[in-house]
Amino acid sequence: MSKYDKFFALAKEAGLEQVELFISESHSLQISLFHGEVDEYKDNNGYSIMARGILNGKCGSANADVWNKEKAAWLVNEIVNNAKVIENDDPIFIFKGSDKYHKVNTFNKELELVSIDQKMKELYTLEKALKEIDPRIVEVAGTEYSQTSEKVTLMNSNGLNLVQKSNYFTFVAQCVAKQGEQTKSGYDFFLDNDFSKFNAQEFAKKIVKITVDQLGGEPCETNKYKAILHPDVVTSLLKAYIGHADAEEVQKHSSLFIDKVGKKIASSKVTIEDKPLTKNVFARWFDDEGVATSNKPIVKNGKLQTYLYNLTTAAKDGVETTGNGFGGGSKRGIGSAFLSLKPGKKSLDELFEMVGNGVYITDVSGLHAGLNPQSGNFSLQSTGFMIENGKKGKPLDLITVGGNLLDIFKDVLEVGNDVTVSPSGVSAESVLIKKIAVSGK
Amino acid sequence: MISKKIAIDVLNESLATGADYAEIFYEDSHSHGVTIENGKVETTSSNSLCGVGLRLLKNNQCVYGYTNDLSKKGLFALASSLSKSFHDERLVTVTKLDMIRCKNRSPIKRSYDDVPVEEKIALIREGIDEINSLNDPRIVRTFGVFGDNYRFVAVFNSKGKWFKRVSEFGRMVFQVIAANQNGFETGFEGPGAQQGIEYFRTEKVNPKKTARKAAETALKMLTAAECPSGKMPVVIGNGWGGVLFHESCGHPLEASAVSKGLSCFSENKIGDYIASPVVSAVDDSTIPNEWGSIDIDDEGNLGTKRLLIKNGKLNDYMIDDLNGRRMNREGNGACRRQNYRYIPTSRMSNTYICNGKNTPEDIIKATKLGLYAVSFNGGSVDPTTGEFNFGCSEAYIIRDGKICEPVKGATLIGKGSEILKKIDMVANDLDLAQGMCGASSGSIRTNVGQPTLRVSEVTVGGRGGELK
Repeated sequence: MSKYDKFFALAKEAGLEQVELFISESHSLQISLFHGEVDEYKDNNGYSIMARGILNGKCGSANADVWNKEKAAWLVNEIVNNAKVIENDDPIFIFKGSDKYHKVNTFNKELELVSIDQKMKELYTLEKALKEIDPRIVEVAGTEYSQTSEKVTLMNSNGLNLVQKSNYFTFVAQCVAKQGEQTKSGYDFFLDNDFSKFNAQEFAKKIVKITVDQLGGEPCETNKYKAILHPDVVTSLLKAYIGHADAEEVQKHSSLFIDKVGKKIASSKVTIEDKPLTKNVFARWFDDEGVATSNKPIVKNGKLQTYLYNLTTAAKDGVETTGNGFGGGSKRGIGSAFLSLKPGKKSLDELFEMVGNGVYITDVSGLHAGLNPQSGNFSLQSTGFMIENGKKGKPLDLITVGGNLLDIFKDVLEVGNDVTVSPSGVSAESVLIKKIAVSGK
Repeated sequence: MISKKIAIDVLNESLATGADYAEIFYEDSHSHGVTIENGKVETTSSNSLCGVGLRLLKNNQCVYGYTNDLSKKGLFALASSLSKSFHDERLVTVTKLDMIRCKNRSPIKRSYDDVPVEEKIALIREGIDEINSLNDPRIVRTFGVFGDNYRFVAVFNSKGKWFKRVSEFGRMVFQVIAANQNGFETGFEGPGAQQGIEYFRTEKVNPKKTARKAAETALKMLTAAECPSGKMPVVIGNGWGGVLFHESCGHPLEASAVSKGLSCFSENKIGDYIASPVVSAVDDSTIPNEWGSIDIDDEGNLGTKRLLIKNGKLNDYMIDDLNGRRMNREGNGACRRQNYRYIPTSRMSNTYICNGKNTPEDIIKATKLGLYAVSFNGGSVDPTTGEFNFGCSEAYIIRDGKICEPVKGATLIGKGSEILKKIDMVANDLDLAQGMCGASSGSIRTNVGQPTLRVSEVTVGGRGGELK
């Protein structure tokens, strides 16, 4: 007997043909320090349930965060009412299950055994190091540890019952540097599920460097430059770029990749893979529809290999789903658990030498406003450095870089070997591009 | 709902180890959304949210936890677990809870729970029909969304006070994607209010007008050239233009940044000129039925109107009680959170620059060559440095005092502290616009706003070369 049996029984009574529950049970801990004291301590038990069901071929959904008999009845009632008004004719599926699943372990038991004292010790060490490494650091704006363990369960009336457990921790810190009248702030994340991989001193050094290196920055001349993009910048652009491989966007005529499968869309140096089965904290061995996921190239040597499908869009195109049905709601969206830009052979220093003179863009901000996901045009506030005679030069401040996603990936001359995994689930490297428009002075 | 008796017991359990303040935040909310895509009802969904957040304070420390187990046992387990963070003698005991009464400034004529989904669909469909009546083949995709939210909150605290707050919100959104051989452009309009469905049937806000505006923006931007770059005078439109002030100046005026010395407008600048003398700005949570209004904040302080900048001089901040401790100030009704899962902190409500003496026409006429930024997609700011960036969703070049060709892809960047001093003309057409503001206590409803105004010089990023 499962506590969810009541829901399935009520759903049947209400005439729902098929139903599905997606349940998340989580525990999270968050500790932040400010000026050597615990500033915030947060300990939470989270629960959420997404329910959906099919009535006369239409799908309705409802979500809740408590479970009891009344809530089960409420969910069924809302699903029925919501399904009744749906007009979309797209085929909807409650999945029966894949033939084979390639399970990846995303739960590290060791992490659950790390004591609060150990976590606090790392936080204090981190805060102290941030203060002491460089006299130009005038403030540590915050250091935070957080840890989450989550169990997701997908169960449906077709007998599918899948469970994946995962856990991870993050350290985040931000510090402020001052020189004359100029103030700069810098921060970074560390995310993993193996606590022994974290080194507070190294992490502090990295953040301090990110922060103080910006001091003395000023705008460069407005011009087009040969450029190296930092892996963080590549990550931001890559996610928006691959958004165009979403089959729904293609079917609804708002993708830049329409009719491009098998065709060249990027430089031959560019290979982008969807790798949900990589053994890391981002791994997902089934998608939110219950379909087994798989590793596959999306762009190979510049050629688009496939669109990303969920069950509905795959049926419309008469192909198999690619196991990319992610996101809540009555209709699952399309997404990717872990994207990877295949590394090249050149080191960052070698890339600098190849550029000679140009710019090194280390950070872009305001993507939600400055990047038009539909047109691919972007104009983004950026920071970085000049590249002079093959070496990193003076810092750049208050500049914007502009371009178009399609052009940027066509203009890739070289991909570096400095593999960097971001907390957003993308692995990317530094990238050398032919030109980028910089607005400065 | 939690009884007063249980609340007192849970508060006392929380306070047993020396916390100087404890607070129970109970929430029972539900929301509904319906999306019409290309004329067909595409998705509908219902969400229910019910839980308790428990906050304990001791000096400057905050301990927080939440649970969905609302039984007495569940609440005690949470209280007992959180109180383990402290190890002192009890300082406070709660014996009774008195109710704080506050005026309901945002009455609802018809609750959304009484509006059938068909009526919401009909409302959106009217807008979609209006877009379709344009019969423009460049429009490739349309979205219409209606979302509503009912929120019940009850707060019990160790000062012996409790209160309840009921609010309802509705929002209507139209998004239009247009395409030609050059690519895609988007138009977006999303008015909302703390009011019933009657709000969406007025002269100012109605589905036809709103949807048409979204379509017109997308089509206009399709013909726009790339925006030139460089430093130039920028006239910023009323309403949504206020997002620039929200980001570059509003966030640094929140006590969460100020109390820790992490704001570019720190406390020693009170009384100093931080803006041009033509600039006054307020954060007002008392405007009836407005999107960002609250009658009483999440810790029981009544909503107020805060004069942030008075004729260019820094005058006040948005303050919550905890950050107020570091500033030797009381909270001023600005403590907010998305829901019970978030630790509350000082946030904005309806934040705007006040009307000035010019007319919008005066300002355009007085500008020889520059950019007219009508509206933005949004932006972001680093409150420590005040550095901001904003992407324009609709913009035009001003030539010889006239609004000329549309331009796309404009991004404004700069520092809040510098731009405020460069505002040289403010018009008298104040308007508010609705947005969702994200920060540490989650995503909350806020209004941005301003009259049309001019900044004498801003760095504009774009791909269109030099402005000539």
